[in-house]
Amino acid sequence: MTDPLGLIPNQGVSPLQSKQAAQAARPIQGPQFKEVMLQQIEQVNKLQQEAQFAVEDIATGRGNEETAFMATQKAEIAFQMLLQVRNKLMDAYDEVKQIRV
Amino acid sequence: MFGTLDTTTSALVAQRTRSEVIAANMANSNAIQDENGENNPFRRRLAIFSTGDPATGSKTGVHVREIAMDPSEFQYRYMPDHPLAAKDGPHAGYVAFPNIDPMMEQVDMMEAARAYEANIMVAEATKSMIQTSLRLIA
Amino acid sequence: MINGMFDSGAMPTLERMIQFTGRRHQYIAHNIANISTPYFKPIDLDPKAFQHQLAGAIERRRHTGNPQRGDLELRSTRQVRVRGKSLEFLPAETNDGILFHDRNNRSLEHIMQDLVENTTAHRMSIELLKSEFDLLETAIRERL
Repeated sequence: MTDPLGLIPNQGVSPLQSKQAAQAARPIQGPQFKEVMLQQIEQVNKLQQEAQFAVEDIATGRGNEETAFMATQKAEIAFQMLLQVRNKLMDAYDEVKQIRV
Repeated sequence: MFGTLDTTTSALVAQRTRSEVIAANMANSNAIQDENGENNPFRRRLAIFSTGDPATGSKTGVHVREIAMDPSEFQYRYMPDHPLAAKDGPHAGYVAFPNIDPMMEQVDMMEAARAYEANIMVAEATKSMIQTSLRLIA
Repeated sequence: MINGMFDSGAMPTLERMIQFTGRRHQYIAHNIANISTPYFKPIDLDPKAFQHQLAGAIERRRHTGNPQRGDLELRSTRQVRVRGKSLEFLPAETNDGILFHDRNNRSLEHIMQDLVENTTAHRMSIELLKSEFDLLETAIRERL
C-alpha cells in the first residue's frame, strides 16, 4: 500500500520490521541439534559399556547378576530408542528432499 | 552335551538294577529251602558298581560290574523241632536262614531311590541347558 | 570388520564361560552317576580358578587401546589350557568331604548345589550372548 501523500497514520514501522528488530536484539538460545544428537549417542555408548563391564563382573565372580541384567536391558532399550530416532530423522530428511521448489 | 545324557542314563540303569537286587533279597529273606528240599538258604546278593559304561564304550558313567554273593554267615536260629533242623554237627538243632537283614535292605533301597532321583535332576538340568542353547539359533 | 564384530563387548567373555560351564556339567553328571560306586573319587574343575583366569584376561584387554574391542587372551593354567579358540580341560580329583566306608568321599548335597549353580551360569551366559547377537542383528537390519 503506497502512500505518497503521507495521509495514513502509523506507517512509520510495519509489523514485519518490528519482529526483525526484536530478534536482532535477542540471540538464539539453547544447544544446537547436532550437539544434542551427539550427546545422545555418547550416552548410549556409555550404557553399552556399563552393560559390558557388568557382564564381565559376573564372569569374574565380582558382580551382581541383577545389576548385569538391568544394565543389559537399559543398554538395549537405549539403543533401540536411538535407532528409532535415527530412522525418523532419515525419513524426515527423505521427505524434505522430495519437496519440489 | 548329549554324552552327558548317556552318562545319566547309565546311572539310572545301574541304580534300577541295584533296586531289583534289593527287592529280590527282600522277597527271599525267609527262603530256607533250595530246589532239592535241603536246608540251603538264599544267599544275599550285592550289586557291585564300577565306573565307565561298556554299553556305549565311554569312560564316564557307571555300570553294574557283577552281582556278587554276600559271603557273610547265614543266620542260625535254634529250632530243634523243625523238620529241616540239622541233625548233628556244630549247628545241631539250628535252622540256617538267609543272611538278609530287612532293615539294611530298606536303608539300601532308600539310598538307591535317592541316587535315582539325583540323576533324574541331572537329566532335567541337561535338558534345560540344551533347550537354552537352541534358543541361540531359533 | 567382520571379525571385529564378534570381539566386541562381553561376547568373548560369555563364549569362554559357556565353554567352561558346558564342560563342567559333564564332570558333575559323571560324579552324580557314580554316587554309589565304591572307591570312586569325584573329579571337578575349579570355577574360582577359572574366574581368576578370566579376570586376568579382561584386565589385560582393558589396558589396551579400546576396552570394548579385541579378543580375550587367556593364559593357560593347570586345569584349563588355551588352544586358540578352544579350551582343553584337565579336571582334578576333589578331596573334600568325609570318607565313607566304601572309600567314596561324596557329598550329594554339595554336588547338587554345584549342579544348580553351573546350570544357571550356563543358561545365563547363553541368554546374555543371545542379547548381544540380537543387538548386532538390530543394527544391521536398521529396523527393530
